Amino acid sequence: MSHPDAALAALRDFFAAGSGAELERACARLATAGCVPPPEADEDLEYDFNRLFVGPGRLAAPPYASVYLETEPRLMGETTLLVRAVYHALGLASPRQSALPDDHLSLELDAALALRAAAGEADGPEMAALRRYFLAEHLGRWLPAFAARVREASPHPAVACAVSRLLDWLDHELSAVPEYGEYGRDERQRRCV
Amino acid sequence: MSRWTKERVEEALTGPLSRRTFLKGMAAAGAMAVLPCGLLAPEAAGATESYGGGYTVFRNACPRNCYDTCAIKTYVQDGVAKFVEGAPESTFTRGGLCVKGNSYIRSTYSPDRIKYPMEQQGRGTGKWKRLTWDEAMDKIARKILAIKEQDGSLLGLGLTKYSGNFGITNYGVEGMMSSLGYTTRFVGTPCWPAGIDAQNFDMGSMWCNDPEDMVKSRYIIVWGANPAWCSVHSMKYLYAAREAGAKIVVIDPVFTQTAAKGDEYWQVATGTDGALALGMCRHILDREMYDKDWVAANSLGFEEFADYLRSNVTVDWAAKLSGLPAERIVAVAEEFAAARPATVWIGYGLQRHVNGGATVRAIDALVAMTGNIGKEGGGARYGHLQTWGFNYHAMVQKPPEGAVGFVGASGPKGEFDFAGGDKTVKHTDRAVNINKTAQEILDARNPPIRMLWASCKNVLSQDFDRPKMIEAFGKLEMVVVVDHFFNQTVEQADIVLPVTTCLEEWTVNVSYWHYWLALNEQAVKPLHEARSNIEIAAALSRRINELAPGSCTFPTEIDTREWMEAEFNKGIYDLFGLKSWEELRDGPVKAKLASSAAWHDRKFATPSKKYEFKSELCAKNGHEALPAYKEGRKAYDKLRLLTPHSKFSLHSQFQNLDWMEEFNPAPVVYIHPRTAEARGIRHGDAVRVFNKVGEEKLRAVLTANVPPDALLLYEAWFNGRKFNCQNLVDDTSADMGAFKTGAPGVAIHDQFADVARA
Repeated sequence: MSHPDAALAALRDFFAAGSGAELERACARLATAGCVPPPEADEDLEYDFNRLFVGPGRLAAPPYASVYLETEPRLMGETTLLVRAVYHALGLASPRQSALPDDHLSLELDAALALRAAAGEADGPEMAALRRYFLAEHLGRWLPAFAARVREASPHPAVACAVSRLLDWLDHELSAVPEYGEYGRDERQRRCV
Repeated sequence: MSRWTKERVEEALTGPLSRRTFLKGMAAAGAMAVLPCGLLAPEAAGATESYGGGYTVFRNACPRNCYDTCAIKTYVQDGVAKFVEGAPESTFTRGGLCVKGNSYIRSTYSPDRIKYPMEQQGRGTGKWKRLTWDEAMDKIARKILAIKEQDGSLLGLGLTKYSGNFGITNYGVEGMMSSLGYTTRFVGTPCWPAGIDAQNFDMGSMWCNDPEDMVKSRYIIVWGANPAWCSVHSMKYLYAAREAGAKIVVIDPVFTQTAAKGDEYWQVATGTDGALALGMCRHILDREMYDKDWVAANSLGFEEFADYLRSNVTVDWAAKLSGLPAERIVAVAEEFAAARPATVWIGYGLQRHVNGGATVRAIDALVAMTGNIGKEGGGARYGHLQTWGFNYHAMVQKPPEGAVGFVGASGPKGEFDFAGGDKTVKHTDRAVNINKTAQEILDARNPPIRMLWASCKNVLSQDFDRPKMIEAFGKLEMVVVVDHFFNQTVEQADIVLPVTTCLEEWTVNVSYWHYWLALNEQAVKPLHEARSNIEIAAALSRRINELAPGSCTFPTEIDTREWMEAEFNKGIYDLFGLKSWEELRDGPVKAKLASSAAWHDRKFATPSKKYEFKSELCAKNGHEALPAYKEGRKAYDKLRLLTPHSKFSLHSQFQNLDWMEEFNPAPVVYIHPRTAEARGIRHGDAVRVFNKVGEEKLRAVLTANVPPDALLLYEAWFNGRKFNCQNLVDDTSADMGAFKTGAPGVAIHDQFADVARA
């Protein structure tokens, strides 16, 4: 796995963390991306992570795309189903189904990794368009709003750093991802992209 | 050649060949499967469609503590509930829901739901750690076993549960407790117990006419109820009756939406309804407009009642107490007595008083002496439990071998306790009064209540005297709360467990008002890690039996659909004319009633089998034998404080949803302009409402809809706010309730307070 992919995987696992131990491990991996890991057994990070992203209270920054992209914030909206369709187009699905809505940040970052891999393996104009779509029309539209909600909520430094790296990654991807290519089913046309 | 666009990608994604459109060559053959440590997995072979399938319709039912208990149709697409509507098969709801029922998609898919089992490091600290279900069950099981070790019984484990979900399988919460042994149960009901006892003394049971037969009424008094908000589907019967010539009189201290729809409105002085009813009785007696034949054939003690009226009651006395003009009392009494049939809808608010049971008996007497009980379109309508004869399969569980409990007194009751008592059992649960939850926790000894399990109940929002409740919680060693949202009780919990919404579980529902039966299917898989109450019970049983075999009889593996099926029996099938519960998949079904009238055969269930104007049973239970007037509570502060139901919530449910917040963003106190002026309060001012219990700060809204001697603030839990009307309500008991529900009711509307600018 290349270095940017390793950082992305660490971010994915940070937002997927289901316990203090998993958070700690993700933080250790984010250290290579310049985030200073919190001291060992820093329970404040876990409490703050849960306040922002997990519960049980009203979340300060819900990590679900549909909260930011639907007309009225909710889970399992049209956005969620479009994201599920993206996974399906990649031959993937979330084994957790409704136990973790498809547009949870951790799953979307996993899909972003898959798209990078797919770009290498099957570099057709369709896959390029899908990648462009997922980055620019989807992640690019909600991650900045999500990051703003996190920042407004005075997060723990480790969370602040992870979110900052998330935006860095997004900016880098958006600058690197090509504009939409031409649309058509003709093989000759496809090679011209 | 055109280019790809956002719309084109979405079109391709949602089309039938989306995978083939994007994936080519190697990737299509499985390159995606080799991502290291990924969360996503290769989709199962043959998964060809992920978007835009057809709708599947599921049957649901609103399980809240509500007259209407609406049957719901839920439209599910791609595993997601898209919208709900009222079941058109029900003639009662006629395809409609209410503002609350229409919000079920918002609650199930709210980002605010409790998603995982979690543990708080210090109550109220907000320091929450996530637990796996196994970890949560392990912690709870170990605590229960430690209590048993320490006390030699499980009486230190208390259960408080009420009306958050009336789906029948949710009585599995009580079943879970029984399967562990003998525990402490908070029994009774804060809702309607005084009236239940009153109707039991008068008629032998609480049984109301089918609300759909109100169209046959020629005179309707809506007395202390606000169906325009709290039973919206009943309103059409009021209107239909009026179109057919009926008059509608609304009696309420507050000019409610229902009052606005009536033909005549009486702003009765709060708590004097009994005097008003008796004044009407006296006038009808004097004019000999009572139904002599009915009284002679069907009642006991009418002469004693008439003597009581002649010696103790006058219209002028009733007018003076109730604040209503004598000539209107006389006129309405005559109209009511002359109408055939006439009916009274007795609301629950008027019995939440220290004289509430006596009040209901006085109103019952008015309806009975005019011969209106047992008649279609007539009746003293309060509620019924005629359709609740399920198996209570989930609730009825055996204690483990050798369980030790409370010895000496009878076990717990409740208005929905149909299990009956096995008199040969030596040990029982310890029953304590749900309406004095804080005091009972503080007072419990030998053993103390060490652990509280709260399900279907927002204790800190709905139980009385919040300052005392906070003190009581300080005595508890462990608090487990099972809920949907982070409310003020979860805030005071050690462990919170996420529970399924009605769209996510199998159960069955009936109403205490109408006569329909509705299936509740699992329309969608539970979100997050939510589990139903009976699945939680099974998980706890599994863990506690691993730690200490034989310590819980609850099955450790259950199929929730089978448990729903197990609630049905021949009685239910016969009553509803069903061969199988599966017929309910075609829609709700109404009970096959011999008549829409309660007591249509005049065979009352009292000891005398008659309507008892004079009830020795009532006297034996510590009250007057006759429906005599009982004084209200003496005022303990300058103004009366009313905390009734809001349009946007059912107790503490629904108000937290964004749709409700948009219309009802913050709690307010309603003050009569004269009362406000005397205190220098203007519309919109920040004010303090205070009394001996505590204090609340909120905004003032000036309105002449409330009487000058009262303050009104709606009960509710507002998300993220400290507001809590129980800071102003003490736990003084109502007169009745202990006979049928195990504990007296509570005088919610016999509260007093004052208000000042903050």
